[in-house]
Amino acid sequence: MKGMKKKNRAVNVFPKIQKLLIYFVLICISFVFLKPIFGIISKTFMSSADVIDPAVEWLPKKFSIGNLKVAAGVLKINKTLLNSIMFSGLLAICQTVVSALTGYALSRFNFRFKHFWFVMILLAFIIPVPVLMVPRLMMFVSFQEAIKFTLIGTPIPQVLMALLGQGVYSTVLILIFNNFFNMIPHVLDEAAMIDGAGPLKVFYHVVIKMSLSTILVVFLFSFVWNWNETYITGTLLRNSIELLPSKLSLFNSEFDSMASASGSAFKINEAYKMAATFISIAPLLVLYAFVQKRFIQGIENTGITGE
Amino acid sequence: MMKKDGKENTLAKEMAKAEVDGKAEKKQEKDKSKAAGKNAFAETKMQGGKEQEAAPVKINKKKVNAYKRRQNRLGYLFMLPWIIGFVIFTLFPFVATIYLSFTDVRTSVRGWEIDFVGMANYVTAFFKNTEFVPALLEFLAMIIPYTFVVIIVSFIIAYLMSKLTKFRGMFRTIYFLPVIIMSGPVMSQILDANVSEHMEEVSRYDGLFIMNMIESYSPQFAHTLGGVLDELSVILWFTGIPIVLFINGLQKINPSLFEAAKIDSANSWQILWKIIIPMIKPIALVCTIFTIAQLGTYDTNPVYGLIKTATGNMSGGLGYAATYAWIYSLIVLLIIGAAFLIFKDRKEKKRGV
Repeated sequence: MKGMKKKNRAVNVFPKIQKLLIYFVLICISFVFLKPIFGIISKTFMSSADVIDPAVEWLPKKFSIGNLKVAAGVLKINKTLLNSIMFSGLLAICQTVVSALTGYALSRFNFRFKHFWFVMILLAFIIPVPVLMVPRLMMFVSFQEAIKFTLIGTPIPQVLMALLGQGVYSTVLILIFNNFFNMIPHVLDEAAMIDGAGPLKVFYHVVIKMSLSTILVVFLFSFVWNWNETYITGTLLRNSIELLPSKLSLFNSEFDSMASASGSAFKINEAYKMAATFISIAPLLVLYAFVQKRFIQGIENTGITGE
Repeated sequence: MMKKDGKENTLAKEMAKAEVDGKAEKKQEKDKSKAAGKNAFAETKMQGGKEQEAAPVKINKKKVNAYKRRQNRLGYLFMLPWIIGFVIFTLFPFVATIYLSFTDVRTSVRGWEIDFVGMANYVTAFFKNTEFVPALLEFLAMIIPYTFVVIIVSFIIAYLMSKLTKFRGMFRTIYFLPVIIMSGPVMSQILDANVSEHMEEVSRYDGLFIMNMIESYSPQFAHTLGGVLDELSVILWFTGIPIVLFINGLQKINPSLFEAAKIDSANSWQILWKIIIPMIKPIALVCTIFTIAQLGTYDTNPVYGLIKTATGNMSGGLGYAATYAWIYSLIVLLIIGAAFLIFKDRKEKKRGV
């Protein structure tokens, strides 16, 4: 009997140690994850003396927001921030609408070659974007010459692509919608149809009104991905509209030219760069702080893990 | 109209076959057709009697037919924007790139001048251009170890998290955060900062006994390993979505399987290898593809930079850009295909046993 008890206790202690170990490992990994962000934040608030000082690792000796001011000036924050929000928001709305339509078609109707189109939707995700960009660019250039209306350098090409379901990671958005629509019982559609609603009415009054939270998730994802996308934007928009992330990629040269123009002895250093980086991710961090759960649920609900 | 009639005929044939198949199915279809009849009725009211055949008909076959046609029509109606976009912006460019990679594209007053030059672009890319092949090799040396590290680390993290009950949400929030803020310019700024930070301590791993050992066997491997370790936190940033997918997949494994295994006195190590890993494999495949796609659009990807500058050079570089892009995509698709084979082969073996 005594032996049994001792054994039991040993068994009870072991999982606890194991759990503590797991916590320890996970916290260490968390630190590695967050280290670059901590680095950005700490450098942002360092004064120029602290940056050179080797004794200062994380916490600045003197808290200063001078870097932020300089970086905000170079990034032209009041203009670019609004531009970025409007641009990403516009594309996100287009993407959300078309993904909802496509997801609805896949979840409700048994049309011919449905599986073929489903595979095509997945393939559209796998094909690397660079391979598509050259013909796309040529298409837009010849089209704008044909209609004598400037397209390159305006958001029109990207809006068009988003509206036709070829925006950033559209496949993932379609999958999120498809999976959520599959969970709405078909009986509801049928009830609405018996009451005389056409397919568009059913789509709007029954399905859309029930899936507002999913729409929000898709919108947020689309917004964030469009915000972070620079390759397509750089090719088709060409800095004609100043956006925050593309400004950040030009930060070094812009800083130098501005410094030399004003004749000041400012030299670029880590702190300014990190302050600029901080500014460009700050809106996303704020967004994430409020709706992080929805983001994670959104990815969980893509259904690619098999439901 | 002719086409429509043809479709009807084939559909009718299909239906005749289906009717032979079994009564149960027939019943279901009857129920469906009832609903469909009503829908059709509702629609005719709305559209002003456009579809005369769709109105309630006495013969069952026709009802089912109408239902099927409606499904087909509506399905394509809702899919239409995506299909148009896919054809214009994805399928056509994909085919066009293959063609353009054999041509020399120049802009002139009359628009695009496309001359067929055969393999010249490929010859230039591989033999004359001194940048392309090294960039390609660098890309391969980046994407393969990165993908492995991302998949394995994210699985380990997800597995560890599945053992916990408290603070799971917090960890998940932290691990998912990079997905939101990760973009090309941000990454390159961070990597820049990393490089300048470690300037003074070149090859930090030189003193380590293990690294010396590995280096004596294969300097190439040691170099790759050093690179992975150097950029560990940046690599870890790609694990955000795989971790969430893995956790989701782990939760969906039927707990009774674990119980059964425990009753058969399997320990957790055996459960991990015999139950969890085989069951999580499809998700691992999805994660691998996603990671490769994500790494492909990573801004510090060396090939990407080349393609970008070639695309920017509109006066004469577009042909080369197409060649670069096509070679690059072929390699990415090959890697994805390899991932498919790795995950599929083992599955089939399991079935055979």
